[in-house]
Amino acid sequence: MENNKPKIGIFGLTSCAGDQLAILNCEDELIHLANALDIRDWEMAQTNNDNTTLLDIAFVEGVVAQSRDLEALHAIRKRSKLLVAIGTCAVWGGVAAMKNQIPRDILKKEVYGEEINVVDSMPALPVKSFVKVDIQLPGCPIEKDQFLQVVTSLLRGNLPEILQFSVCSECKMSENACLVIEQGEVCCGALTLSGCNARCPSHNIPCGGCHGPIEEAHYDANVTMFKTHGITKDDIEQKMAMYAAPAWIPDKLLAEK
Amino acid sequence: MKILKLPKTNFKLFMEGLQNYGEVHVPKKKSSQSFVFGPMENTSEIAMDYLRTINPPKKYFFKPKDTLFNFSSTKGFTEVIEDSDKKIVLFGLHPCDIHGLKILDIVFGTNYPDKYYFARRKNVIVIGLSCMPDDKCFCRSMATDATEDGFDLFLSELKSSYLLTVGSSIGDDISTDLKHLLTEVTKKDTNEYLKIRKERKNRFTLSLDTSDLPYILELQRESEVWEELGKKCLCCGSCSMVCPTCSCFNVYDIKNLITDSGQRVRQWDSCLFKDYAVVAGGHNFRVNRADRVRNRYYDKQNGFVSQYGKPSCTGCGRCIQYCPTKIHVVEVFNKVRGEA
Repeated sequence: MENNKPKIGIFGLTSCAGDQLAILNCEDELIHLANALDIRDWEMAQTNNDNTTLLDIAFVEGVVAQSRDLEALHAIRKRSKLLVAIGTCAVWGGVAAMKNQIPRDILKKEVYGEEINVVDSMPALPVKSFVKVDIQLPGCPIEKDQFLQVVTSLLRGNLPEILQFSVCSECKMSENACLVIEQGEVCCGALTLSGCNARCPSHNIPCGGCHGPIEEAHYDANVTMFKTHGITKDDIEQKMAMYAAPAWIPDKLLAEK
Repeated sequence: MKILKLPKTNFKLFMEGLQNYGEVHVPKKKSSQSFVFGPMENTSEIAMDYLRTINPPKKYFFKPKDTLFNFSSTKGFTEVIEDSDKKIVLFGLHPCDIHGLKILDIVFGTNYPDKYYFARRKNVIVIGLSCMPDDKCFCRSMATDATEDGFDLFLSELKSSYLLTVGSSIGDDISTDLKHLLTEVTKKDTNEYLKIRKERKNRFTLSLDTSDLPYILELQRESEVWEELGKKCLCCGSCSMVCPTCSCFNVYDIKNLITDSGQRVRQWDSCLFKDYAVVAGGHNFRVNRADRVRNRYYDKQNGFVSQYGKPSCTGCGRCIQYCPTKIHVVEVFNKVRGEA
């Protein structure tokens, strides 16, 4: 059946599928999404997928951590006009990229033991490390409202605007007491892209940085600040590297070691 | 100007009496070190000894996130001014925050009056409250440690009473309404007030030398101070959010999925964010952190002075208290002066 609706595919590389689940959790809007989009390929949510048609938009979740991710990604890029990286894994590498600095051989042995050597594993890197990405929507998982705005903008032929504001700004807009100042916590709010309405600090939990860094996040100044609170560099690194290590670890702190 | 006396024993009844004039909002404790303005549930939660709230009173008039209008391909534009009819009695503003509102009145009232701001401003009764400074207050240097206007009522605390200054006709209505709670000011009260005033003056430990400051800033545009500060500043924007006079906003549309309609929204912005000064075509006028940090200081103590004849800093100390990396505005200006 031919129609004028944009043909889309939603794909998952190595990931927890949380971003695809976040889309399925758009309960009130799901029927409208299904009406507005011609969903051709979405393995997680439908049967009878078509894996050859050219797509107007591909939404890609997950990190490239296996050779088959890379093959899948190249195939997706080849058949799609626009590629939207969704979720922090796809945009920044996510939790899978936390230990890239340790050689895969060592990691494999540590996790699976000496005997097993069949696991297909490579240093985990975000989608943009391999193919052109047109739009990046981070989040762990993505924020439902932001996803819907991205879709709505694309449907109207506009590029979506994702505000480059810090979590601190949303935290202050919500009038939370600062967890760095008042409790000496390692809170990643100053480094991290907003969009969550400072969800964690609003519940007295320091920001873990799950949306990944804001444009030009000031890592050095953050590390210096946390050090003055008596927190060790290792602890700071561990916290700050949880979701977006490839964004900065290679040329920043590791270089110091 | 009329000055009466409110004995502390009548304070609870006075606060309850204010409820006839609107929803009473008061300073409340939020955490061990922080306070916020919020609706009064009962009079016992009023933090009478608070010094500064996280967000200044601007949040009532210039909301952190605000819908400006709805749009639709079939209905065109429909204006939205949320809370434009809501009567609020905002209790407990210290003189610096009253000055903050006076500065915002200039910002939002000059050239293109902002109807969203003023629709709410006209419905809010402002009741001031005296204070004793801490080590982050430098309002005295900014000449905002006292105010003769900008309030409807102002309470100056004495040991067992408050001196109640009437500052407007609505303030006069309230004091007339609640006159059974008020008494005359005696000679003893006046002496007590003068004594406290003197004590307050001596309590200030922080001061900023503002003489020639705009001139010095003009000369120090290329000072290494800004480069150093750019290395320390996280550019998180917290200082802009909590500043009583920062009033920049970003405007964007929230579009509806099914119909050709949506809302135009504005949201607090900060000149410290990387994309603040990006223009069409992608050029960024303040691409370096140091440029952005410098801009914020120049806006307060140089640009605003050229435009309106006074700085737009009230010395409230919020940017000092809420900077995670302990950048101290007074120390910055002392360095620029070559005096630190």
